[in-house]
Amino acid sequence: MTTYATQDRTRNPLERRYALLGVALIAPTVLILCAVIVYPLVSAIDLSLFSIYTPTLKGNWVGLDNYMQVLGSSGFWGALGTTVVWTVGTLLLQIVFGVAMALLLNQNILFRSLARSLVLFPYFVSTVVAVLIWRWLFNDLYGILSHLLIQLGVVDMPVDWLGKMPNAMESVIFVGAWKFFPFVVIAVLARLQTIPEQLYEAATIDGAGVFGRFFDVTLPQLRDVLTIVILLRTIWDFKEFDLIYLLTGGGPVNSTRTLPLIVYQQAFGLNQMGVAATYAVAMMVVMLAFMLIYLYQARRQTP
Amino acid sequence: MIAAKRSTTILANLVTWSLVLLISFPLIWMVVTSVRPQTELFQIPPTVIPRSITFEHYVKLLQETPFIRYFLNSMILATSTTVVVVVVGTLGAYSLVRFSYRGRETLAALVLFTYLLPSVVLIIPLYLMMVKLGLANTLTSLVIAYTTFALPYGLWLLRSFMAGVPEDLESAALVDGASRMGAFVDVILPQALPGIISTALFTFILAWNEYLYALVMVNSDQARPLTTGVMNMLITSFNIEWSLLMAASVMMSIPLIIIFAFLQSYLTRGFGAGGVKG
Repeated sequence: MTTYATQDRTRNPLERRYALLGVALIAPTVLILCAVIVYPLVSAIDLSLFSIYTPTLKGNWVGLDNYMQVLGSSGFWGALGTTVVWTVGTLLLQIVFGVAMALLLNQNILFRSLARSLVLFPYFVSTVVAVLIWRWLFNDLYGILSHLLIQLGVVDMPVDWLGKMPNAMESVIFVGAWKFFPFVVIAVLARLQTIPEQLYEAATIDGAGVFGRFFDVTLPQLRDVLTIVILLRTIWDFKEFDLIYLLTGGGPVNSTRTLPLIVYQQAFGLNQMGVAATYAVAMMVVMLAFMLIYLYQARRQTP
Repeated sequence: MIAAKRSTTILANLVTWSLVLLISFPLIWMVVTSVRPQTELFQIPPTVIPRSITFEHYVKLLQETPFIRYFLNSMILATSTTVVVVVVGTLGAYSLVRFSYRGRETLAALVLFTYLLPSVVLIIPLYLMMVKLGLANTLTSLVIAYTTFALPYGLWLLRSFMAGVPEDLESAALVDGASRMGAFVDVILPQALPGIISTALFTFILAWNEYLYALVMVNSDQARPLTTGVMNMLITSFNIEWSLLMAASVMMSIPLIIIFAFLQSYLTRGFGAGGVKG
């Protein structure tokens, strides 16, 4: 800090004017971010120390009572477990499908850009649309999915995809993978196209087969991009609300109720805003580790 | 050898395209259901190809439901959010990339951090804030709420696009006597334009698709956007009309289809710049 200050004084007037202009240009951003992010964030931590009834918004200070209540409840730990199952499950599918699809699309296939667009589409389509389509596909009476499986002889009765366990969790994980794996495809595909052809030629001369080339050349080259993709998707899947809320609403009997859902439920279903804020803060603390690793990795990889 | 190579190419094509079609099947099914007569919908077993095509569900959607209201709300909402984010973000990104002042690096890291924050943490205080400001149930409250995720994201994208504009171009303009802002308008903006378009498209799509804030902040059809509006049609209907909902889904995806058809290169560019490389 002090070195900066001395530098400031030795700078010429033009540079100081520039610095001022720079500050003026960033000022709107800083003001907006303070108003809509910093203040609410501090306020959320503050709220977590109160007991507030949502309809009247009246409350009184309860200190750490909310935290004792939340951390001592099976609700929190159960939801945390559910969140971990959902995140790990869907992330795993996203990565495996994503990398496989990227490898396929990296080949010389017909109408490649059309194929790429079609694969990309689920990622950009609204979660509401995705959920409506899947709930129709999953429909217990007229859903095509059960009928196709019956015709193929896989099952002999329509399947209850969302109404019982473990079907509900599997369905949510699967729809999540369908919706979000294109992110992995695009990231990996972009990286694949920059791997020098010589590396593959050299490996082929050394006698490496298809799998040898994948594990010795492709995978090491993908390491950096996969690290970033896995971190980002972990964070995003962990905090996913829309998809799960709209598919199952957390049911059956809370078995797909992840942490973001419990926050919403406490705040706007049970009208306990203070407790909801406590859940939110606790959830953020869990996520913090991943966020910090991502920040570190992102900085390391930016030249 | 050549024959073997050809057969691998055919195999690669077959495998890839079958997977691509499998992945797109839900979307194809959405379109098929939306143009199918109601009577055909409930036959067991269902057929994949419709025997006749009808647009009655679209007509019903536009005439008998508040769909158009929701659509306009979403348009206003997504456009306003995009304008705010692009204007504020472009200036901010220019500052972060090309000026030096104390705290610049910390600020850049903080922007990235905010971009990862879960909405459920911010939503309770933001909701209370909107109630206090008397903005609950307005589109304005949603524009404000959407900047919480769209601004950090847009700023981050724009920052990496602007970093890609060669510094020499700006210096040359300055030597020729241009002011900093003059150089920004004449040199940086045109150079960064593809990046700005790409950021605008991403912001628009994010705002268009947002659900949670809309669910919490808006509780009247006057200000309800498409996401919560269409979902409401599902929840409140006595018996669910799937063909109507699929027609709504198709209509809701129209801006996206347009972007995909004509501007897709901007989307892939945005992916490379912001989301992944950091």
